[in-house]
Amino acid sequence: MQSFRLNGSRVLEVELRGDAVRAAAGAMIAYTGDVAFKNAGMGGGDGLRAAIKRRATGESVSLMRCSGKGTVWFAKDAMEIVVIEMAGDTLKVESEQLLVVSDNLRTDVAFAGLRGASSGQGLFTTTVTGNGPLALLSAGGPPIALEVSPQYPLVVDPQAFVASRGQLNQTFVTDVSWRNLVGESSGEAFSLRFDGTGVVYIQPEER
Amino acid sequence: MTLPSTPFNPATLPDNDNVPGNHYAYCRKLDGQLFMQTGRMIAYYPAPGSAGIRFEPLSSATITGFVAERFSAPLYTRDWVVASGAGHLLLGDRGYDINSYTLEEGNLTLRASNLLAFDSTLELKQSIVPGFLTLIGTGTFLASSSGPVIFAEPPIRVDPQALVGWADCPSPSHHFDARWMTGFLGMAGGVLGMVSGEERQFDFTGAGTVLLQSSEHAVDDPHLLKQLESQVNTLAMSGLTRLQSVIQSRLSAEQRR
Repeated sequence: MQSFRLNGSRVLEVELRGDAVRAAAGAMIAYTGDVAFKNAGMGGGDGLRAAIKRRATGESVSLMRCSGKGTVWFAKDAMEIVVIEMAGDTLKVESEQLLVVSDNLRTDVAFAGLRGASSGQGLFTTTVTGNGPLALLSAGGPPIALEVSPQYPLVVDPQAFVASRGQLNQTFVTDVSWRNLVGESSGEAFSLRFDGTGVVYIQPEER
Repeated sequence: MTLPSTPFNPATLPDNDNVPGNHYAYCRKLDGQLFMQTGRMIAYYPAPGSAGIRFEPLSSATITGFVAERFSAPLYTRDWVVASGAGHLLLGDRGYDINSYTLEEGNLTLRASNLLAFDSTLELKQSIVPGFLTLIGTGTFLASSSGPVIFAEPPIRVDPQALVGWADCPSPSHHFDARWMTGFLGMAGGVLGMVSGEERQFDFTGAGTVLLQSSEHAVDDPHLLKQLESQVNTLAMSGLTRLQSVIQSRLSAEQRR
């Protein structure tokens, strides 16, 4: 089992024992020991099919593979970091919010819908499946976990969306069409509505 | 930090307070109408069994009369909406600290970009200081600040960037550093690079409270721009020429960076 440890709330410490992790390019701030950093390739290390999908969808991830023996410290723009332990389930995450994924986890791109292509966010999401830890970034403050249940559906601003897990049905709502009226601010024309059972993570700052 | 073990839901979220452990997000239980700046909503739970929350532009026909009564800041109408309905509303603003304030038969002036939302019982007016808005009456409002708000009492001089707002004070005046004012030294200082960047302050006198923040991110403030634009009309030919040269020199300074 890989060890992901937080050093404060904004620096992640990863112990490598001959295994590997994939991390957002440029997120390494320091390391000790014998660690090799290699561009994980166009598909974020998941092969050609994922690479083509990423190219086609614009849900780009620029990941590097870090392997060897030693300790690596990761951080990005002083954003808050959260560690999630995956146990065979699937997490949908906005690719910009990925900091480090265990090499045991598989990443892919999911197509989430077609409408409201103005911002692109929330349209294609990166999915992470498997067993192992991953670290996510949250801008503007600690991430907020919100429960979704049949009794409590949830509506989220796509620019604040970080990740979701569970049996969730994601739809686009355009009840915020007033965003269109706002010419000068960078407003998106839709919100994301989640129904079902699961958890949605959001950040306090809009991208 | 590890993940909050139990995610929040409307039953565990506070009704009118910061999200626990998070100064940067605020949960407001809505039942009725609320004026809100656009783009500050990060999520909401519609109340079970209700029609949910609707966001309407101020120009919407169904609310025009109501708006005209409470919202007399024409420059800002495009940046505000009325949220109406029932549910829990989560607000965030650039990772700024968010706080709720209550006003009782009072008046308070705030930097426009730091005002997130206010009760429909309050009245909003444009301040005569560009980029600021004044709230009058009784009700609560939400405001953000970069870092916790510092409360100070006049007489005080503050850096324009650090000013969040003020309550009850007579309107502030500009204060210029004495040395900057004595033209020769000011000019020599400018040439020799001795300008500290602190020549201009806001001067508060009288009784009241001044609200300060630790810093201000340089964000494009569309409100301020609009207010400045609207004041260009009041300038004469010489003023316009002068303004042009100021903008020119600022532009070339920015481009050299």
